Amino acid sequence: RILNNSFQLSSLPLQILFYVNGIYSIFYFLATLAMIVYKSQVFSYPDDFLVPDLAVLFLMAILEVPRLYLGCKGNLMEEEVPLGLSLGFTVGSVVLCVYLLAWQTYILWADVVLNAVLLCAYGLESGLKVTAIAAFVS
Amino acid sequence: VARLCVCDLLVAQCDANCCCDPDCSPEEFSLFTTCSVPVVVGDSHLCRQKAAVYSLDVEANPPERIFQLVDQVNPSIFCIHATNYKQALYLNSPEMPTAENFDRLLSEFGGAAFSAEPEGWSVDTEAPDPPDANETHSYQYGAPVQTEDAFLRLPSPVVSSWCSDANPAGFLVNQATKCIRSVSVEKCDSIQGLSMLFYINSSILAVNVTVQSIVVQSLDGMRTLLEGDDVLRLPLALDELCLNIVLGVSYHITYTDTGAITEAAAAFVLGTITKEALSVQQSFQISFTQANTKPVPLSGNPGYVVGLPVRAGFRPQGYPFLVEFLTNKHSQLSILQSTASQDCLAAQGARAPVLFGYNMISGCKLRITAGMKCQPLAQTLLDVLKGQSFPEYVASFGNSQAQDVLDWVPITHLHISEQRFSNPLQSLCQIPVALGIEVKWTKYGSLVNPQARIVNVTATLSTSTLKQLPPGREKIIPVTSSVVFTDISSPAEPGYKAWPTINIKLPFDFFYPFV
Repeated sequence: RILNNSFQLSSLPLQILFYVNGIYSIFYFLATLAMIVYKSQVFSYPDDFLVPDLAVLFLMAILEVPRLYLGCKGNLMEEEVPLGLSLGFTVGSVVLCVYLLAWQTYILWADVVLNAVLLCAYGLESGLKVTAIAAFVS
Repeated sequence: VARLCVCDLLVAQCDANCCCDPDCSPEEFSLFTTCSVPVVVGDSHLCRQKAAVYSLDVEANPPERIFQLVDQVNPSIFCIHATNYKQALYLNSPEMPTAENFDRLLSEFGGAAFSAEPEGWSVDTEAPDPPDANETHSYQYGAPVQTEDAFLRLPSPVVSSWCSDANPAGFLVNQATKCIRSVSVEKCDSIQGLSMLFYINSSILAVNVTVQSIVVQSLDGMRTLLEGDDVLRLPLALDELCLNIVLGVSYHITYTDTGAITEAAAAFVLGTITKEALSVQQSFQISFTQANTKPVPLSGNPGYVVGLPVRAGFRPQGYPFLVEFLTNKHSQLSILQSTASQDCLAAQGARAPVLFGYNMISGCKLRITAGMKCQPLAQTLLDVLKGQSFPEYVASFGNSQAQDVLDWVPITHLHISEQRFSNPLQSLCQIPVALGIEVKWTKYGSLVNPQARIVNVTATLSTSTLKQLPPGREKIIPVTSSVVFTDISSPAEPGYKAWPTINIKLPFDFFYPFV
């Protein structure tokens, strides 16, 4: 494909995925926060268990921002370094997501659904990023 | 969940209509009408769980119980899929103490008292952390007086007569205790409770305990006050004696009206013990005085306490208006105390104090002989009945201060004379034969904690004429004095709070454009 007299190496599916992921992350963060509040009211949720769960959720939210930004930048500018960094962040986010999926204090069915979707998105993103990096490097 | 049965209450017996009871046989199941517990499940929030369903098949003959283990599914999206918190769904049974974890459990849950928050005896969460000279700590009645590390100790006998050093002194609780401490001459300087240092070592937060006076008691019991000696005297073992052991401590604590302690002084009685002595009796006392007031023994706070003396006083002479009352030991309200000899004229002025609430009657017998002059006799009898200084005012509350003139009730005097009007021209002199003091008191204050308040005191003097006797004859007349306390309290009235009012005020510039 030739666009503006140069080959386009940026990956369009990856860009779409970043966009969708951004919106879904906001929804995911708000929904999980609301569910933690619901759990703390309905079930017995002592502070020792509430604090780690909330910390993981906020850490994930904080990590999302540089992850998506670096990913977008790297993909659009066709540079592999920011994309590699974004991949690193993704690995961290995957770990946190797995925590929220399996090691949370109370795992509701809605939690399982949300986290599974997010994991799928991360997996797909990672695959596309690797492909894009390979395309950029070569 | 198949083993759980809520209706199984009787052990080894079949409960009626309890389908899950394992003690029931099929014959007993056939007698049931319904199942009181149809389903046994765990937490209903779980997404998937096993449920034990019990039902009675009434179609069959005889009816039999059907038990099924089914999977119950919670369709809600917010059902608990899994949990990592064990106590969430199951009852957490407490740890059984074993030899290994006993120390840990004791340090975590042990305490001097059974309370929800374990607190150690010497740890006080309310005391300020290292005593701050500017901080005042205000006490309530009965609260233990705190020192730097623990509480002010007032050793007292707890279970037996032996001294226990862990007894704290309560604020405003005047106490006097006596207890026995075991001693030995060889170890007399190592036993803590025998040395002065033990009692003045701990400072009550910012206030140091000063030594007020030291009285030395010799072996034969004679006590001498040491002059100007504030030196700490520690037990000293000398040959077969041990000197300077503490036989008595008397604490005097001064407090302000906000409940903070400003001064603390201790007066000691030191003694000597011999080699044969195995135990020594110690006496301890603590008294509280409010700062800037003269220590007057209160008869109640504020209402009179039954059994405490009625406080009385005089108005000082020469003052145009009431300033302060004079109260001292001699101006107490007292009545004649009956003596063994019952002779009025030989009574040496023994008086008994009038105690609040105690009706008393006392008297003596007057022997009248011929030739007794009436006037001196009347005066003597008046002295016998009323005492040397009969007060003029009585305190209406147990803690009335001398400066509060409105708190004092004047004593009204009545005179009843038994005068025979047979011969009005002959005004014979009268001798007092009876003095009756009637104290009217009322209950004052709230219904749940009424305080006794003296409202009126009337002293009624009854006199009768002295008939001259023919010579050689003598007559015996009884002379009585009595005190009666009458309760004139009116029935309690309920007091209600004022109706709430709606307070609406428009702002100043409400009608701005028009006004």
